[in-house]
Amino acid sequence: MRWLRHPALYWLVSIGLGAVFVYASFDKIAHPQDFARIVYRYRLAGPTAGLGVVPANVLAVVLPWIEGVTGVLLITGLWRREAAALAGGMLVTFLAAVSYVLWQGIDVAHCGCFTVGGEGRGAGWTLIASDLGLLLAAAYVVLVRPQAPSPVTSAAVPAS
Amino acid sequence: MPLRPLRIVLIVAGAAVLGLCWNGLSGRGFALTQNAYLQEGDVEVDAAEARTRLDQGALFLDARPVAFYEMSHIPGAMPLPEDDFDRAFAKIEPRLRSTFDIVVYCSGFGCEASHLVARRLKERGIPAIVLAEGWPAWTDAGYPVKEGPRP
Repeated sequence: MRWLRHPALYWLVSIGLGAVFVYASFDKIAHPQDFARIVYRYRLAGPTAGLGVVPANVLAVVLPWIEGVTGVLLITGLWRREAAALAGGMLVTFLAAVSYVLWQGIDVAHCGCFTVGGEGRGAGWTLIASDLGLLLAAAYVVLVRPQAPSPVTSAAVPAS
Repeated sequence: MPLRPLRIVLIVAGAAVLGLCWNGLSGRGFALTQNAYLQEGDVEVDAAEARTRLDQGALFLDARPVAFYEMSHIPGAMPLPEDDFDRAFAKIEPRLRSTFDIVVYCSGFGCEASHLVARRLKERGIPAIVLAEGWPAWTDAGYPVKEGPRP
């Protein structure tokens, strides 16, 4: 399984995962109120009589930025493993949310994954499958140590 | 090198600050204390105001699925379910066009039906206002309800 530790693969998976998170944040950041309506439909953060609307609204405003910042860190490589762990945490939360609405028979109609307007993707089994795929990628970035660059590459750097 | 949890906390906190600033300053944000279903042009009243209007003869419309209406509803309310709007609307259109004070309600916080019905009525030239927080606001206030399928 040495190929798993190849730096190019590690780099590719990190950047790919980061790009998915950055892309997922754009439309939600541009239309926070529309995303809040989608959050309401999951019925996980309210609104309810006890909670009011504030927790769901704050979640709708903050979550896309966590996705975006996490994505940028994964792409740039700064705090990469922590960002991947956070991405994994978010994916586990999304999996739990989607499983909950499927189990409860709640019709979310639009999962709010990548966009907030138009005909969105519903919450279904294909969504669970793609979240699991992304979770695998996040776990890979957290757990695998890429091999140090080979001595040949190091030698190519001119000594000063 | 082990993971540093503090970094994760910092990422989340930083993103939260960015999100709240963006919502407050970008012009794309919305009031966090306001129901996100509320759009420009929508008019909401609270339960006490709705009660006053009911006593003054306002017509109430129940936007919930008709099964809920048949269990119980605000006295005098007519069913105008959002999920069967066109059919129900055709039935009561003359009555709606001769009424000046219309209040729409649905199941409360997580429910958009009353706002959607009020907007559809407005598109058809019939002004309607929405009971904020809907049915639970009415029953929590201890206002009268009527059981059964009749208004």
